[in-house]
Amino acid sequence: MSIEPMKIFFKEIKEPIETAMIGNYAVAGGVTQTDPDVVCAFPITPQTQSVEGLSDVVHQGRLKAAFVNVESELAAISYSTAACAAGARTFTATASQGYLLMSEALPMAVGWRVPLTMMISARAFNSPNLSIWNSWEYVITDYGWNCIVSENVQETYDAAILSVMISDNSLFPTMFVHDGFIISHSVQKLWLTPDEVVRKLTPRKPRHTITPERPGVWGGIVTPSFFMEGRMNLDVAKKSVLNIMKNSFDEYGKATGRHYNLIETYNLDNSSKTAFITMGSMCGNIISWMTKNKDIGLIKIRAYRPFPYEELQKIVQEHNIEKLIILEKSDALNNLLPPFSTSIATALYPLNTIFRSYIVGLGGRDVTRDEFDITKRKMESVKDMKGQLYTYLGVRETKDKIFEVDR
Amino acid sequence: MLTPEHIKEILNDYTINLRFHARGGQGGVTASNLCVEAFYGYGVCQPKFGAERMGSPTESYVRLSANADLVRSNEQVYGPQFVSVLDPSLLTEVDVTAGIPKGGWLIVNTEMDQLTVQDAVQRKDINIATIDATRIALDVLGRNITNTIILGALIRVSYLFTFEELSDAIMKRFKGEVAGKNIQAIKQAIEETCVYDIGIEPDFTVDSKIPWQQVSLGLPGYKDLDKAGVWYCDEDIIPVGSDQVNTGSWGEWEIIWDEETCTNCTQCWFICPDFATIRKLGDDGKYHMSGIDILHCKACLNCLNICPVQAISKRPKQGPAACALPEEGGGN
Repeated sequence: MSIEPMKIFFKEIKEPIETAMIGNYAVAGGVTQTDPDVVCAFPITPQTQSVEGLSDVVHQGRLKAAFVNVESELAAISYSTAACAAGARTFTATASQGYLLMSEALPMAVGWRVPLTMMISARAFNSPNLSIWNSWEYVITDYGWNCIVSENVQETYDAAILSVMISDNSLFPTMFVHDGFIISHSVQKLWLTPDEVVRKLTPRKPRHTITPERPGVWGGIVTPSFFMEGRMNLDVAKKSVLNIMKNSFDEYGKATGRHYNLIETYNLDNSSKTAFITMGSMCGNIISWMTKNKDIGLIKIRAYRPFPYEELQKIVQEHNIEKLIILEKSDALNNLLPPFSTSIATALYPLNTIFRSYIVGLGGRDVTRDEFDITKRKMESVKDMKGQLYTYLGVRETKDKIFEVDR
Repeated sequence: MLTPEHIKEILNDYTINLRFHARGGQGGVTASNLCVEAFYGYGVCQPKFGAERMGSPTESYVRLSANADLVRSNEQVYGPQFVSVLDPSLLTEVDVTAGIPKGGWLIVNTEMDQLTVQDAVQRKDINIATIDATRIALDVLGRNITNTIILGALIRVSYLFTFEELSDAIMKRFKGEVAGKNIQAIKQAIEETCVYDIGIEPDFTVDSKIPWQQVSLGLPGYKDLDKAGVWYCDEDIIPVGSDQVNTGSWGEWEIIWDEETCTNCTQCWFICPDFATIRKLGDDGKYHMSGIDILHCKACLNCLNICPVQAISKRPKQGPAACALPEEGGGN
């Protein structure tokens, strides 16, 4: 090949350098720098180049890792969980149907407390038609994985390194998500962190592993007299994860100058006391749009699981936010609210904040200034929490009419 | 005529948008990547997301600005001020001037003169630049890859980046010898670009997106859909898949069906992924094969392989797809 997308990672990166890459290769680079022992994933659009890039660096010799080919996503997550339990630093990646196929084995990675990391290029699942484009499929399951969501290529590159820090310190598996195609295939400029800095941030730490020195039964059957204790043990251990995330963000910020937060806020002290709340690539669209719309704010969720509800409550209270516009790229057909909105609604329950949830951008439909304009306008007349709290937006009703939009 | 100073000024407060039209394999996405790498400010490049294959028309978009917040948007590009076309056959196959505002630039790889291009695209309110990139590519690179050469023409009319900045970006991405040849080709392209300036500048302060353009009207709405999202072939309600595109131009084989040999077993009809084998209901109340839909046949050869009596054969086809080479650096 005349073009080598991973060329920049073939050599030791000695100082911060600026380059331009697609999201998937940037993740492959970030993962390379964390020096995993095992890379095991099954290809699926739009995740593929992340693993392709890693195979490049393994082949070239820069990364001394076992690159394991498997026959499915279920095999990939099973292999990765076991490798991680045996003490290897392990990376896997998937999207959409692959994530659903993994479902059976996803809870065990949590149960065994393995510090596995997984990249997800968010893509719609198939129903009623197949779509390879972006929706938030990852919000439909809740197995106890840590989950951080990235807005752009820089954030997803940083998340590849941050996830290793968070996983290693919390001993819970971490998935980091970027929007499929929108980020995974977009070329954006980013700064790379020097290898030495990454090595210092992600030292190997002693932990529980499968070892012949100390034989034991992993995942053995338990009677009803024991299972609940195992579950509650996990839940209590989860409580410290948000603090670990925060510390990892701080430590990373000090080392690289790029500071992140569990929740990031923009222009919340605005005249309308209204804010958007969402996550992922849409936040960038809103921030660009906000350069001309200064009377509205944005709350960007970076840590989706565990959900930082106390932080969100504090932000809403401190800034006197009265109304929230939830934008979500998933739906649930459950007559209540889609999954992301459910989390927000639960977190906001004690505060009586008025909100509406708008389902946008499913299956890769572009989310533009039109969506922001109309939700902002619609929200002005919303005064209570009565009736159905969600609606679809940017959908054709008939051939010549867009649902609830007057053109 | 735009000046470097004017472009710099615009970039401080607004975005400049670009679009590249190419065929899969010609490196249109690589060209847009190089724009982002060569540009001094903030930039983002998005390929038109989705599956592509060799020879199929592709699009990729670039958004550039010196203001980080403006480029932070991941919205697709709807109103490009500069459009580059890497393959002249695309001028008539896709709407290359869609969304270009008055005074925008169309840069085409072609032997045609600018007035002929103007007639072909039927737009008199845009500026046109032409470059015979294919000839330069064959001369200098030894193969028909025109993506870097069209960037030379872009430098000539847009001043978004300099020859030196582009050379640096190419050195970073390409292997040594290939990089050198590409840089030489770009130098030649900058000199040889023919510019037809109508004396109007695009208004960079207005983004020409039509409200709700992202929800294409004219297609069925949710109320019109059949149960289970099925696309029934007997109705022409949903123009999906290859119905929308002349996919017949993608393949490198022409498929020939022989009526004499055919036994009407219809196995080819069942296996065709695009309903490009045609059957007709006869007077006897049974279906009979009647031919191949060459407008949509992508030459996957499934029918040829499954036919039990060799009634289907193939012969090589001449056309744009025949010369396309595999996209390097990963497609979708």
